[in-house]
Amino acid sequence: MAEIDFDSVTKVFAGGKPAVDELSLHINDGEFMVLVGPSGCGKTTALRMLAGLEEITSGTLKIGGSVVNNTLPKDRDVAMVFQNYALYPHMSVAKNIGFALKIRGDSKSEIKRKVDEAAAILRLEDYLDRRPKALSGGQRQRVAMGRAIVRSPQAFLMDEPLSNLDAKLRVEMRLEIARIQRLLNVATVYVTHDQVEAMTMGDRVAVMKDGKLQQVDTPQDLYDRPANEFVAGFMGSPPMNLLPCQIHPGADRVEVHFGEQVVELPLSYVDSHDLPPAGADVVLGVRPEDVLITDAGVANTIKTRVERSEALGSEILVHLSHADALDTSLSAGERLRLDFSRRATLIAKLGPRTKVTVGDVLSVQISPEHAHFFDAQSGETLRKKSS
Amino acid sequence: MTTLQTPPNETERVDTMTPPSPRRPKVGRWILFGVMVVIAVVMLYPFWVMIATSLQSATQFLSGGGFSWLSWSTLTSVIPVGQEVLSSTIVCSASIALILAVGLPAGFAFSKLRYRASGMVFLIMVSAMMVPLQAILMPEYVNVTKLGLTGGYLGAILVYAALGTPFSIFLFSTYFRGVPDELIEAGIVDGLGYFGALWRLVVPIAIPAIATVTVLQFIQIWDDLLVGLLFIQNTNERPITVGLAILAAGRTTSIPALMAGSLISALPAMIVYLIFQRYLVKGLTMGIDR
Repeated sequence: MAEIDFDSVTKVFAGGKPAVDELSLHINDGEFMVLVGPSGCGKTTALRMLAGLEEITSGTLKIGGSVVNNTLPKDRDVAMVFQNYALYPHMSVAKNIGFALKIRGDSKSEIKRKVDEAAAILRLEDYLDRRPKALSGGQRQRVAMGRAIVRSPQAFLMDEPLSNLDAKLRVEMRLEIARIQRLLNVATVYVTHDQVEAMTMGDRVAVMKDGKLQQVDTPQDLYDRPANEFVAGFMGSPPMNLLPCQIHPGADRVEVHFGEQVVELPLSYVDSHDLPPAGADVVLGVRPEDVLITDAGVANTIKTRVERSEALGSEILVHLSHADALDTSLSAGERLRLDFSRRATLIAKLGPRTKVTVGDVLSVQISPEHAHFFDAQSGETLRKKSS
Repeated sequence: MTTLQTPPNETERVDTMTPPSPRRPKVGRWILFGVMVVIAVVMLYPFWVMIATSLQSATQFLSGGGFSWLSWSTLTSVIPVGQEVLSSTIVCSASIALILAVGLPAGFAFSKLRYRASGMVFLIMVSAMMVPLQAILMPEYVNVTKLGLTGGYLGAILVYAALGTPFSIFLFSTYFRGVPDELIEAGIVDGLGYFGALWRLVVPIAIPAIATVTVLQFIQIWDDLLVGLLFIQNTNERPITVGLAILAAGRTTSIPALMAGSLISALPAMIVYLIFQRYLVKGLTMGIDR
């Protein structure tokens, strides 16, 4: 077991821009670190560099305190679980699990003992003599896990191991992997593009975009205190609403202007944020669950129009537009055209029995404690580091 | 009381809606069967002629009837059949072993390893498939003679291996492109080197490709006369094709003895083909479904 250190690690493929750009990340011993980001963000490349399957262009990579930049994969003592499992098709489950031990030169009795142990942990005892093609997706995934855990490596590396499973099995295996990781307490780097996996499995989550690390934090802190617009929009389903607006910090409150409409937020935002001068453009971020429907006539609300609603059983996602919601001067033809072209700008997460229909005009309030402000140009949070 | 109605059986309903038409498939099958029979007759007729002729004496062959083992005893007395079959087997086996030993790693390297100008090197290597033996026979002969290898098996083995390797590289690299990179990477993370990954992970799943190369090269080398004739000059090491050519070129050629020799010569290739035929289709059609 060991700590892992990425120190300004960069990977540039021939003739391209950096796939991983100056990545600095420390993974503690026994920690479950999730690398998450959209396709092409460099998360898998970072993992492959850690495994030794890609050369490092610059920077230093350490496992257990030793620099491994030029160490062969077999000498790094890490185990990897691949997206397509990569089971050896001509070997039985038992031989698949014990293969690394056989190469290492362990005795037959030792291999059998460790394979049986791993099979018990993964509930694979009844399948040890089968070939991989005779297993279901979930069982194959467990064999791939078995192949990793049997080696008692310094670190587990997992490259989107659940992406080939159906939704139900994915939830089961998510819990299973988390259980095994806790049981073995080995540093784990888990790559996924699924933010639900990242939120539910990771002790900490590292969000990447375009090869750059955006933020590393616990799942809850990532959700509550995103470092920039990208993280705010990536973590959470549905994502955070990001609304361009003008800000007017006043003596006793902060006014936020959406065109003609104005919302007032508490003055505490002035202390906790580096807000720009009055009239400056900012981006207001608000989570869908923090968009509250209120009665008409209540002060400090935005008038919106329901563009569509999605009933998910446990909740309803309502897509709202706030521009022209109240514009009654439009002709019938113009209104009809708008009905088709109007873009929803705000998503609200409502209770399952809320009655809304498309075309309803709703007054919504932004939960005063849970607003986020981002710089309109850089997209970085305006929240002060200390707060 | 509410009663539950059983929904109508979907399969039964479909069956009753589309009554089977018994005539069309049967006619089609008979036509197909007829065509297959004709093809089988065309293919097997030469073998029948060989077998029937070899079981006649020269006189019986000319008169058009009778049965005799004489031609077989004539054959064994004129040429050392056993020795020649053994020579052919040695040359074939060694050449194929060499082709596989070079073709497998080369195919693996071309398909799985990234290095500068690999595409160009592959193209040059594979373009050698298009050069016929006759075009390079003279320089080949000069080179092998200079190396002093024209007497025994070695010169012929090297020439056969050189001729067969480009095709094997082409076939193996095509096959290995279908093997997921992750499989090899898993082996490397598990502690294998590239050679280990090739021999322990890739070769066991490349049996169809290996069988295809083996069968095609075996048939080609076993049936070849030219290389054996030119490069194996020791009379006690000459292959069966050279022996049969000598038999055919004699002043008084016994056709039944020649047929007996041809039968012996044809059998090993047929046996090898029959053993590996189930892999052959897979090996030759690989890559089509991708």
